[in-house]
Amino acid sequence: MSRNTKLKQLAAACALGAATSLAAVQANAGELSLLTWVSYADESFTADWQEATGCELKPTLVGSNDEIIAKIAAGDRYDLVSPSVDTTTILWKLGKIAPIDTGKLEHFQNLYENLQNNPGITLEDGTVIAQPNAWGSIPMMYRTDKVDEELDSIAVIFDEKYAGRISLWDDKSNIYPVARYLFGTDVNVFDLSDEQLAEVQQKLIEQKKLLRTYWSQAGDHINLAANGEIWISNTWGGYQVAELQAKGIPMVEYLPKELADGWMDGWQITTDAQDMECVYQWLNFAASPEGQCGMSLFSGFSAASPLVESCMSEEEFTGRHQHQPEYIDSLVLWREPARPAKMIEVWNAVKAAE
Amino acid sequence: MSRRLRTALDFFAVFSLPALWWGGIVLGSLGVMASMSFWTQEFPTFRPDFQFGNYEELLTNNQYVVVIARSVRIALMSCLFSFLIGFPLVYFIVFKVESRAVKLLLYMGMLIPLWVSYVLRSYTWKTILGTEGVLNSALLWLGIVDEPVMFFLYNQYAMVITIGYICMPLMMLPIYSSLDKIPRSLIEASRDLGANSFHTFLNVTLRLAIPGIIAGWTLAFCLAVGDFVSPILVGGPSANMIANVVLTQYGMALNWPLGAAITVVLLVIFVILLSASNQAERVGKVNIE
Repeated sequence: MSRNTKLKQLAAACALGAATSLAAVQANAGELSLLTWVSYADESFTADWQEATGCELKPTLVGSNDEIIAKIAAGDRYDLVSPSVDTTTILWKLGKIAPIDTGKLEHFQNLYENLQNNPGITLEDGTVIAQPNAWGSIPMMYRTDKVDEELDSIAVIFDEKYAGRISLWDDKSNIYPVARYLFGTDVNVFDLSDEQLAEVQQKLIEQKKLLRTYWSQAGDHINLAANGEIWISNTWGGYQVAELQAKGIPMVEYLPKELADGWMDGWQITTDAQDMECVYQWLNFAASPEGQCGMSLFSGFSAASPLVESCMSEEEFTGRHQHQPEYIDSLVLWREPARPAKMIEVWNAVKAAE
Repeated sequence: MSRRLRTALDFFAVFSLPALWWGGIVLGSLGVMASMSFWTQEFPTFRPDFQFGNYEELLTNNQYVVVIARSVRIALMSCLFSFLIGFPLVYFIVFKVESRAVKLLLYMGMLIPLWVSYVLRSYTWKTILGTEGVLNSALLWLGIVDEPVMFFLYNQYAMVITIGYICMPLMMLPIYSSLDKIPRSLIEASRDLGANSFHTFLNVTLRLAIPGIIAGWTLAFCLAVGDFVSPILVGGPSANMIANVVLTQYGMALNWPLGAAITVVLLVIFVILLSASNQAERVGKVNIE
């Protein structure tokens, strides 16, 4: 055998090997890999849909939006992701997100109009890059058996009286309420100057001596509060407090007078998505009254569709502010910061400080 | 097939895979990482470049200096903690326990923590040190305190205990093997020559254990300084170690070039440390044959 033929055979073998391994990483038809939060594709409300369509969901769970960006930027392959609207545009600019063909969406028009028009959902040129899924606030919470005053301000996190009983989410979004506390509620927290950021950073570093610890996952957060480690914290509206109250812990939520942040998550299709049939079937299920009911009742988050009225008690419906979609405008709804890297750097500097 | 050819083939069969692993996977990826440390971040991505900005950032931005100093300090304190508890324990097992069965049992006991998941071993300390944890419950029950003690958990002491505990088997194993190799006759000779037990311990036992002690400290330090689990679980608000910062740069900060630069700096520290420890071990070695 000549040297040349050998080389050719070797090359062919390599190509074959590469092809087979490539085929192995590509999702099988009928399989959808999701990068999402714990409550958005739970078996409890998706099992029937999976059975009926033959599309199998393979969710990978995340704890923060930054984790979604990190995984996608690192080249991990998923068919669908469900970040918040401050992140949808970053992923879009990374070139990892495919535009959504609204002609194939059955329920998009039924979703709250202000959610449809959010700049993290529909771009200025009309391109739809995400389908709204859920929304809520980032309120404060406290234990009424330990704190014997009625709280209404973010100022409590700087109160020496509660040293060692306070916790904050390990997230750059802590910058926003502290900026409003320092500079008034009119400040554009998503575009702070270097001087303003330096002041916020200093304030958050001073605050650390009053802090018990940061929390990052909802489950850990619930345990911290249930085990008596923390009395006062920011939280994800609806979820943790409901779980704690169910455990008999007298924890209540409040929106600080310095305003609270708001968030909204949407489903996005990645450029790696293969089985478009299943992708659009999933989007249509997720936005349907049935999918929205399943998600919202499981998580306690507000639904993106007003049609959840059909499956909710009046208390559940109004408790989630489903009857007043303009409620979201009273929150400072997250959007992509002018300088996200700078925000993250400030937050990391806070965490690094002694 | 000629003998020489067969030898060559055998050699190739045995060593080609490790060579590929070492050269391709280990050195190759280190090379990729080192070259990335000169790239430039353009959030949310980065572009190939050759500039020293990332290293400059590391040296001039106080937050990285603080974290590197904290990591080294916590790692040293954790090593000291595991040495102060580990050394007497190993000494006891080697010199004071007569029964071979008991010795084996204690030796296995030393290793058992290694069978348990790393994260679980850290997490356990949360349940021990917490406000409503085992330690506080015991103190309250005994009437030693009236209110739960808060400072057990979520600070740097909790990290030292947790990391020290995790490192302990690595500290104890090399010390065990160096103590175990000391011929009993040397200790008897020292006593026969009139040295009291303190002097014997200092000049014979400890002297001969130095290579094991250095190896133990080196292993434990390398594990401790790179820990990123304890800061998250038990460290509280001011706990970030260097590995947490690397993780953040590769994760949410999307600044792989800076993450790579930190890793290169860390690698250089390790290489210096390992060669120093290697040197010290050689100097400390006493030929007892």
